[in-house]
Amino acid sequence: MIAIGMEGSANKLGVGIMLHPKDGSPPQVLANIRHTYVSPPGEGFLPKDTARHHRAWVVKLVKKALKEAQVSVDDVSCICFTKGPGMGAPLQSVVVAARMLSLLWDKPLVGVNHCVGHIEMGRLITGATNPVVLYVSGGNTQVIAYSSQRYRIFGETLDIAVGNCLDRFARTLHISNDPAPGYNIEQLAKQGNQLVDLPYVVKGMDCSFSGILAAIDALAAQLGLGGEEREKEDAEKRASSAGEAQIIPETNDKPTRADLCFSLQETIFSMLVEITERAMAHVGSKQVLIVGGVGSNLRLQEMMGIMARDRGGSVYATDERFCIDNGIMIAQAGMLAYQTGFQTPLKESTCTQRFRTDEVFVKWRED
Amino acid sequence: MAPEYKPPALPSPFTNTTPAPTLLAQGAEAHVYKTVSLDPSIPAALKIRPSKPYRHPILDRRLTRQRIIQEARCLVKLVREGVSVPAVLALDWEGQGGEESGWGGAWLLMEWIEGPLVRVVLEKWEAWMKKNAATLDPSQLQTEEDRVRSLMKRIGHTIGGLHKAGVVHGDLTTSNLMLRSPVQNATDSPTGISMDGDVVLIDFGLASQSAQDEDRAVDLYVLERAIGSTHPRSEPFFEEMLHGYRESYKGATATLKRLEDVRMRGRKRSMLG
Amino acid sequence: MALKLETINIPHLPASLPVHVALYRNVQNSAFLRQQLLAGNSEFEYALIDASMVLSRAHALAAVFRAVNDYMNNRLKSRNVHSEIVFSFNPTNNIAESFRKFGIADSTKDLLVVKVSVTPEITHDSVAAHLESSIEGTSVPFDDLTLSEISDITKIKKLYKLGALPSPAAKADPSQPNGTHTDDAQRQLELSMLGAIALRGS
Repeated sequence: MIAIGMEGSANKLGVGIMLHPKDGSPPQVLANIRHTYVSPPGEGFLPKDTARHHRAWVVKLVKKALKEAQVSVDDVSCICFTKGPGMGAPLQSVVVAARMLSLLWDKPLVGVNHCVGHIEMGRLITGATNPVVLYVSGGNTQVIAYSSQRYRIFGETLDIAVGNCLDRFARTLHISNDPAPGYNIEQLAKQGNQLVDLPYVVKGMDCSFSGILAAIDALAAQLGLGGEEREKEDAEKRASSAGEAQIIPETNDKPTRADLCFSLQETIFSMLVEITERAMAHVGSKQVLIVGGVGSNLRLQEMMGIMARDRGGSVYATDERFCIDNGIMIAQAGMLAYQTGFQTPLKESTCTQRFRTDEVFVKWRED
Repeated sequence: MAPEYKPPALPSPFTNTTPAPTLLAQGAEAHVYKTVSLDPSIPAALKIRPSKPYRHPILDRRLTRQRIIQEARCLVKLVREGVSVPAVLALDWEGQGGEESGWGGAWLLMEWIEGPLVRVVLEKWEAWMKKNAATLDPSQLQTEEDRVRSLMKRIGHTIGGLHKAGVVHGDLTTSNLMLRSPVQNATDSPTGISMDGDVVLIDFGLASQSAQDEDRAVDLYVLERAIGSTHPRSEPFFEEMLHGYRESYKGATATLKRLEDVRMRGRKRSMLG
Repeated sequence: MALKLETINIPHLPASLPVHVALYRNVQNSAFLRQQLLAGNSEFEYALIDASMVLSRAHALAAVFRAVNDYMNNRLKSRNVHSEIVFSFNPTNNIAESFRKFGIADSTKDLLVVKVSVTPEITHDSVAAHLESSIEGTSVPFDDLTLSEISDITKIKKLYKLGALPSPAAKADPSQPNGTHTDDAQRQLELSMLGAIALRGS
């Protein structure tokens, strides 16, 4: 059976094609195409611009995916789309496209929870059987564990998502949004080594990032590290020292832009690892799976790996192809539901900005 | 397969302790050992917050130090206020090796509380009742239920005392409540399960000093949820816990009012609509 | 009367660091002893504590333990482990104050003497020999019963800012019919003091 998955809950438009062979052998990714709407430095992506981007690209991406997968429309069993959570206008552009294809090709629709898509794709790729899941992206921060046919949320952010915190700080520093602001912060952080004191807010298994963002924004302003000018200077330094790997650190002890990125990552990732460890201790699990765009950060993966090792367990993570929003994760989770008989009637093929992970009845897992 | 788990090495000075402390429990943050106090004939509980190598050493020391001190401060304050909690016998927030050399983690040596966890008492009682409740006559049944009511009420008093002292626990479950065994521990109950003894609050790892109704109400709500999920048969008697709480200090009424809001809202915001 | 010098291996401290403790009443040469301390006479390097400020054996051992642990970790705030023991009795960070409040004074009659075997030459016998020749007083057992006759509960409570706690009645007080209440009050006071010692400087 073959499923098409369509994802567009944020600035990534993804179309994926997934094959679940009839003989029960492992599912295969036939195509995984993505196109990202990149906003200029210092700006975030606005819903209406992002929706316009998705509308402009969705047909091209579907065609390209079918071609790459070398499947014909007749081979397709169902069309899976992201029902939510996410930004309203982008979600809507994609659900309209999915509906159109469903009518055009006479294929059933399967509405998928975006978070469940991440979890199922992560489980498939890594082989983690029953992990505690840390789902970290621009819109979500959750610690999840499976229990009696639900993905239950043990901890979550009390305000903004961790990725949103990183993205917004990238804007403060006028760091490029290409390929992703978080990626560029990660690269800059590698040159930092001075830890500045930032708030650290963990409450049980929940955490908060808005105070940290305010504190580091204020620090950047106070040190004169924000804005376009400083980014240009850094870019020039990078260009002039093209041969050398590092920007030469400044001689005084004042924190640099790199130090701020380093400190931000060290602080917020420590919080994430801490709440994940607490959930692992709580449910008695030794596996941890990181999903979502922030999950492709290697420093986060490294820290999580050390924690898991010290607990006698291990960490499972995927690379950007599967971590960052994509179409196949929607195809994968949609296919699992579809195989249990689940379909989304056309009338109910709406999308919703708010859709909690634990609302989904996970019929495809035992007990 | 993953190698078998080994707890981290004990920090100084417990590498000297003979016999070596025995590990009782490993949480996410801390390891709890049984050992002796400064008098070799008196037992003590040792809580170690090992260093977390995943995080930056400066951040690690800052957090570990802050938390063990916060926990100890809450306990010391409560002992002074006469609330039943394990007393602090000794403390080291610097970790081994002092400022310069290695950092093994912080530790807290506490008074040993002898007695069962309330969780275990209720579990045993519920198991017995499940099997034998049908054989009891109405007056015996009443007696048994009254015993749980009385326990709940005493729990309410203890939590009231805690809140009155200006501390919230942050993680109230029946696993963090103990019954300090009285000297004579015989019980007349056909269940053979004693519910006597002082209710003692333990594990202040998430505790903080607060006198806010919201924090207090969340404490009660967390306990209510914990009893509901782990002790379904005892849940109907939770009301008695709230009675005990109401009697225990002046601000209790406001907290209980707030509890209703907290219940309505749930701990997690619903993301629907 | 024979010297009652007790050598204690406090649990958790290395066996190589035993602690020698002697309690005296009716001490006659406190001014001399204090003078030796002030002069920095290394032969008289002891923790010399006004025993009326000591509630119990557990109280004294908690202060000794804190000081020796800080000594082992190179974190002494004062000159040596013996001055640190006096300092460790203090609930606040003021070293000079700790000597005024807990240290020996010229008028001290009841004296607690503590010596830690920081070098192998310091043994039970060497300490005993030196104390016999230097302290003019009556050696009494270092136990709770003896200390209960010496300790000035009111002063102790004031120093530890524990005035609100119920007072343990003197042991010999016949007007206190209910012994358990007395014990409870004593225990709460003692545990509160141990907490204060542990938290100092936090």
